[in-house]
Amino acid sequence: MGEQKPVDLDALMAEVRERIRIKREKGIYGPDVEALMRVPLPGGRRIFSEDLQDPLASLAEALDEEVEYDPRSRKPVVGPVITYARRIVISLVRWWMGAILERQERINRLLAAAYDYEGQMAPRFGSRLERLERDWKEWREHEVAANLHSVYFQARFGGDEPVIRRQSEAFVDLYKGRNRVLDLGSGRGIFLQLLKEHGIGGYGVDLDPRMVAQCREKGLEAHEVDALTHLRQVAAGSVDGLYARHLAEHILPGELVEILRACRRALAPGAPTVFITPNPKTLTVGAHTFWTDPQHLRPIPPDLFKFYLEVEGFTDVELRTFEPSERRLNEDVPAGPIRENVKLLNETLFGDRDYAVIGHAPK
Amino acid sequence: MRVHQFHPTLAPGDAMSNHVFALRKKIRHWGYDSFAYAVEAKPGVADVRSYRRLFREVKPDDLLIVHFSMGSEVVDQLIKIPARRVLVYHNITPPEFFSGINPHAAAFDRLGLRQLARIAPAFELGIGVSEFNRRALAQAGYEETTRVPILLDWEHFAVPPNDAVLARWKGLRSVLLFVGRISPNKRQDDLVRMLAYYRRCIDPEAQLVLVGAFRDQPQFHARVVALIERLGLGGAVHFAGGVEDASLLAYYRAATAFVSLSEHEGFGVPLLEAMRFRLPVVAYNAAAIGETVGAAGVLLQERDLAETAEAAAMVGERTELREALVAAGEKRVLDFDPDKVAERTRQVLGI
Repeated sequence: MGEQKPVDLDALMAEVRERIRIKREKGIYGPDVEALMRVPLPGGRRIFSEDLQDPLASLAEALDEEVEYDPRSRKPVVGPVITYARRIVISLVRWWMGAILERQERINRLLAAAYDYEGQMAPRFGSRLERLERDWKEWREHEVAANLHSVYFQARFGGDEPVIRRQSEAFVDLYKGRNRVLDLGSGRGIFLQLLKEHGIGGYGVDLDPRMVAQCREKGLEAHEVDALTHLRQVAAGSVDGLYARHLAEHILPGELVEILRACRRALAPGAPTVFITPNPKTLTVGAHTFWTDPQHLRPIPPDLFKFYLEVEGFTDVELRTFEPSERRLNEDVPAGPIRENVKLLNETLFGDRDYAVIGHAPK
Repeated sequence: MRVHQFHPTLAPGDAMSNHVFALRKKIRHWGYDSFAYAVEAKPGVADVRSYRRLFREVKPDDLLIVHFSMGSEVVDQLIKIPARRVLVYHNITPPEFFSGINPHAAAFDRLGLRQLARIAPAFELGIGVSEFNRRALAQAGYEETTRVPILLDWEHFAVPPNDAVLARWKGLRSVLLFVGRISPNKRQDDLVRMLAYYRRCIDPEAQLVLVGAFRDQPQFHARVVALIERLGLGGAVHFAGGVEDASLLAYYRAATAFVSLSEHEGFGVPLLEAMRFRLPVVAYNAAAIGETVGAAGVLLQERDLAETAEAAAMVGERTELREALVAAGEKRVLDFDPDKVAERTRQVLGI
């Protein structure tokens, strides 16, 4: 019986852990039992593999250790002779032993110095690391003004719903006939709503639980998860369209490349893909309005974004700009160099404020 | 051509000595004269010559197999004997395990490791009884290395199991067995701690049987005994000492699981003995243990005493799991079939 049936160790260990968890819950396996299992080996020093659990503390102890040797033999009759012989040998080799000890002492001191930090033996690496991690996290938060209350911010600078709706509408046709379009950073679900109205299947992911809740209230499918994690989790080829409005300017270039790579796996071949981001080619955007959102990390020039998609294998990649500036220089001047100059200035300063990079998932 | 084997000590019931004698039997069976030599032959082993005879007896076309598991001044002399020389490495316990417990053993092991590297050029081939050991040889500077497992001799288990042992232990709900010298690297202290969990959280009647000589490491043994007292486990841990084959067989038959928390094994013969005698194995994966157990036991990747205890309990309780492990174990033992190993030995020795 059971000849060919291999034992599933993973399943077994999962059950083992479950049993332990239940025993903890019921109080059968409590701190008293844990304490029993931590009782050190009585009667002398810890054994080496235990020392290894806390090498720095053990090292400090070992450095202070004196090596005791008692040359006296307790054997009857021959004992004094053995003791005498040992003492002679010790006196004969003491210079050699001394040299070895001296070298060891030097090594010990060098090692201790190597681990010394402000007069202590590598004091609590853990706490220093913790401080660094905390500083780093804080820095990341400050970089994007995470402490700024986003509701107030949305009210003051956030896009107007009808405007966003109008902008998004222009892209809906791309997804005609698709069943599972993913909106990365779906926000209030404006695009998802549009898809629904056009009979296109779609869902969104967003990091903000309040946004996800808003979507769900409207009967839209949304999940609280970050884009990269989600793209790596879904079945390969299970998403047949991708839309990401104002996501790319919130992440680092490396993260964007990672997302594009994850897309290659998650997207069905040929799936339409749209990324929308502020257009820094328009100087009033790149030099001014882009920065009115402190969460924006860095502007992405359109040609660079196009290049990212092409390099990752997306096909038929094109750029489309939209959302013209409200204020422009009056081009109604006589034809000639002045009009050309005004046109150039308009293009450079007051061009379209957003652009979309559109491509199709690699086949 | 004759084949001479040397190891400083040869003792009954010791895996390394058994290997020497099993190999001698095979070589004789192939029609060559073969002898075993030692500096010290412990009482109970027969037909072992004094190492001094090696200097007279070994001829240049003979094969001299030096088994290495400890440093020995004799080996420095042996490598001067003109002959084909092969070293079989049974591993030296890293000295760190003994530091602070048995400084003598630690110093001795350190010397052994240095000697192993120093004598490397004298051998045409270094054989590791496990891949773990073979790698150690390669690191020590042996140019030609290969792996040939320990040659097991199951015939000495062809005895009826000891009735007294069976009567004492058979039929109890939880009898956890470990076989191996009482030594810091084998971590019998952690088995005792694991038993503390077992009795508090699984079966208050559970027993731990530690088979293995404790004379080599009296300090460690005394400290484990003190730990047992401290944990209130007096009467629950049984030191069987070194036992003869009939008793060992009975322990394998009576126990409910073989549990190893050893941190250093060069091969781990008892793991295979347990499998051979239908006892499921639960072992922490360290040194050569993983490659010996293979997929035929519960190999623990994390050193967690509670998990060890629960896994041991499950293999004892679940008939289906137990049978699957027993079947896998019996199959695993076939991978170390003495005839196959002997053939491989013959091939690498070129005899």
